[in-house]
Amino acid sequence: MQRIELNIPSNPIFERVVRATAAELGAAFGFSDERVEDLKLAISEAVNNAIDHGNQGEVNKLVAVVFEIDGEKLEIRISDQGTGMEGHDVSRHVIDEQSLEAGYLRGFGMYLISELVDDYEVNSSQKGTVLTLRLYRRSEQP
Amino acid sequence: MSDIIRREEFGDVAVLHITSTSVDAISAEAIAAEYEQMRPITVLDFSEVSFINSAGISALLKFVVSARKSGYKLFAMHVSPHHQKIFKMVEMSRFMPPIDERDLAEFR
Repeated sequence: MQRIELNIPSNPIFERVVRATAAELGAAFGFSDERVEDLKLAISEAVNNAIDHGNQGEVNKLVAVVFEIDGEKLEIRISDQGTGMEGHDVSRHVIDEQSLEAGYLRGFGMYLISELVDDYEVNSSQKGTVLTLRLYRRSEQP
Repeated sequence: MSDIIRREEFGDVAVLHITSTSVDAISAEAIAAEYEQMRPITVLDFSEVSFINSAGISALLKFVVSARKSGYKLFAMHVSPHHQKIFKMVEMSRFMPPIDERDLAEFR
């Protein structure tokens, strides 16, 4: 198993650092360009969730991102130092007239994650939330 | 004027060239601020954009809301295949359909 760990302050600028790492790692893992883009977006959403909702934007709280390559599996764990979150809405969330009228212009993150990775799980407690993303190497990349 | 948007206007048309490669939480505020300067036909040009996340989508939705309120038309130009896929997933394309540069030429 090969492992990379990043710890970033809760500042969105550092999400770009994680994203750049994900891009290099995805390419090295053999993902197609399209799948690398999927990986970058899923990780971006997960890290921004950890910064905004987990750590509530408190810059001194860290977001830990662990990448693990194990055979054909790439697993990424994104952990915050918050107090846990209730419920994770992964239902299909699209732009519609009602949400535009209501000014509800956010909330796509978990839906996008659920669509872009092979599987994921959320573990949340009073010590924080860990979002685990898994993507598998395929013989024929989409 | 934002250094993240390069603006081009002719007649009723504004073409907003997004010059940031990332439409994300960092660039979202500057991009969204431009929605107040929309024209009856506004085109967002994504030719230099290589990454869009949901924070960026939220910023783009400010343009959608403003266009709907004003009765303006909003289009997207030079959207990469990956971002076309993401726009389709969230149904952004319904509110910001694609336009080709050659179709824009008739307004010049």
